[in-house]
Amino acid sequence: MSLRQIARDVGAWLDHRLGLSGPIIEAAEHPVPRSSASWWYVFGSAAFAVMVLQFITGLCLATVYAPSADRAWQSLLYLNYDQPLGWFIRAMHGWGSNFMIGLVCIHMAQVFLFGAYKYPRELTWVAGVVLLLATLGMAFTGQVLRFDQDAYWGLGIGAAIAGRTPFIGGRVVKMILGGPIIAGETLSRFFTLHVFVIPGLLIAFVGLHLFLVLRLGINEWPMPGRLVKRDTYLAQYHELVSKDGEPFFPFAAQKDLVFIGLIIAALVVTAAVMGPIGPNGEPDPAIIETVPRPDFFFLWLFSVFALLPPWTETFLMLTGPVAAIGLLFLVPFISGTGEKSYRRRPVSVMILVLSFMTIGILIYLGTYSPWSPHMEAWSSVPTPVDYVSGRTPLELQGAVLIQAKQCRNCHALGGQGGMRGPALDRTATRLTPDQIVRQIVQGGGNMPAYGRNLTPAEVNAIVAFLATMHPAHQPPARLAARPQRPEQTDASP
Amino acid sequence: MRMRRIGAAAVLALVFVAACDGLPGKPKESDRPLSPWQVKSFTVLFSGNCAGCHGAGGRFGAAYELANPTFQALVDDAALTGIVSQGMAGTAMPPFAHKYGGFLTDAQIGILVDGMRRRWRVGAAPPNAPPLAGGGGDPARGAQVFARSCAPCHGADGEGSPKAPGSIVDPSYLTLVSDDAIRTLIVAGRTDLGHPDWRGYPPGQPLSAQQVADVVAWMAAKRPRFVPGSYARNP
Repeated sequence: MSLRQIARDVGAWLDHRLGLSGPIIEAAEHPVPRSSASWWYVFGSAAFAVMVLQFITGLCLATVYAPSADRAWQSLLYLNYDQPLGWFIRAMHGWGSNFMIGLVCIHMAQVFLFGAYKYPRELTWVAGVVLLLATLGMAFTGQVLRFDQDAYWGLGIGAAIAGRTPFIGGRVVKMILGGPIIAGETLSRFFTLHVFVIPGLLIAFVGLHLFLVLRLGINEWPMPGRLVKRDTYLAQYHELVSKDGEPFFPFAAQKDLVFIGLIIAALVVTAAVMGPIGPNGEPDPAIIETVPRPDFFFLWLFSVFALLPPWTETFLMLTGPVAAIGLLFLVPFISGTGEKSYRRRPVSVMILVLSFMTIGILIYLGTYSPWSPHMEAWSSVPTPVDYVSGRTPLELQGAVLIQAKQCRNCHALGGQGGMRGPALDRTATRLTPDQIVRQIVQGGGNMPAYGRNLTPAEVNAIVAFLATMHPAHQPPARLAARPQRPEQTDASP
Repeated sequence: MRMRRIGAAAVLALVFVAACDGLPGKPKESDRPLSPWQVKSFTVLFSGNCAGCHGAGGRFGAAYELANPTFQALVDDAALTGIVSQGMAGTAMPPFAHKYGGFLTDAQIGILVDGMRRRWRVGAAPPNAPPLAGGGGDPARGAQVFARSCAPCHGADGEGSPKAPGSIVDPSYLTLVSDDAIRTLIVAGRTDLGHPDWRGYPPGQPLSAQQVADVVAWMAAKRPRFVPGSYARNP
């Protein structure tokens, strides 16, 4: 008896008792509109495949990871450097998370653009929003489990936001952290969320999502002018499927399978080339030589919080997410019928483009965070050589002081340094020496006053140096009221 | 046939696993995250703490040229360690040792000093070199030394010339440099910016230790007596 024969017999024995083959074949071969077997319809199944892969790699990591504040970081280093292929599993899991978020967002954008959330698929959309939130929840809790400096400070910021809730803020923080501070129990809580609670939620809602897709059928390709009406849509869809339908498997599924294969190959290559994400430094709050950043999918929030005017912060931090999530849930109830084609829905297309552009720009800004001083610029970014050679002794002292007094942490020279204040390379074209003195001593325009921190000799040296900061072809600034001999403003004491 | 296929797949899988060690994503031992006090690499320490003022590679920085071989030949380990640890009084050089308010351990300062010596001290100290520290100069004699050895570039009164623009007797400048810093510049020079050492000018007539002390005294005498602390109206 051949192996194939044995397998067939075992399968038949099981099916005789379970009776599952019928429903499975029925589900696999359910008819779908011919137009839906498109490359636009592959993102949902790819997100599902990556999720399954995340479960597998996550399971492998959980066998080594130690969810305790004192050992988590060490166990990640063990995975990266000592466990054979541990680094690869970490890389697959970390990049898999990025892939999954990307795929879920693209899937959602496609569903929005194709009007697939409209009657009768409102509940499918609602389940999808829950899945988006669960995916982001996995990403955030996963970032916390990668217990390094980013995780520590990210969690601190999350707790600080929760702590702003009126009346119950303190209790909420205590519930999240398992105490008033980030300590032993914090990691146990996030481990539970990441490994039990949210995955359970994901499985339940993916089940609901898929059940609804099977029950209601895959959305047909939107045609301009074919309106969705509550009393006629179902009959129209059934007519479409019976006239121009094809079995899901293999007709539509083959594109899904090819795309899943490509995505997994891309993920394996990314993991092999880019390697694991972190961990960076030890999560020790006493180490202040760190520049904590959230992972990219939360960078846009990081930018929003940094750029909000302070008086709006508490209100917007607490109401903004609720409003945004509420709006997402309400989408199918706001426009549940009517046109599906994006060619006839300019407002929807604009909303989508604007959302992606806003989030993209905020992520870009968050990567550079020009509002944060670059705290090591003063000691680690040399003065450009062009600004050193040919300078007078006093100007050279000014260049030293621009480093030593940490001006570079906010002001760039030669394109390097902080971006909080203006670059100093052309200062002399904008300000006369007197104006530079005033700006340094009194501050203003977001710059602190340094009059109490610098001696007159130090200011004179800095001003002497900055007065040389103009291109050869462009004269230095001069006072309009004193048009002659601009070089003779009283820079020297 | 099937067994052969399975065997081939197994061999391929083995090759893949074996090749994993060479994959670009595998973290290298040097990628292991270090706490700031565990950093032991001279290059990392120098570029993170010194290069900002002293220039990448210790040259062409706004502050003194650490890669100057004459300076490295004349300074000793203890003096260099002292300056890095405690800073240099009367200059912008801040202290770097933990116990003086800096961010470096004594071991790291040792690595920095050792690394600078290893890289930039190329020979023994030249004979008859004036010391980098000292005092006891006479301003009046210093004026004569200045007129002979320094004025050709820095101008008769030290206010500068096209050859060396800018005053070296500017009160603000003199307030910002210590006597030792001036002495170091005169004795060891700055090869990157073209300032000669004590033997440089006029050629064949090197300065003696006393003459260096005298010029330093002459410049120090021009330093303002009263130096206000800040612009604060009520200090």
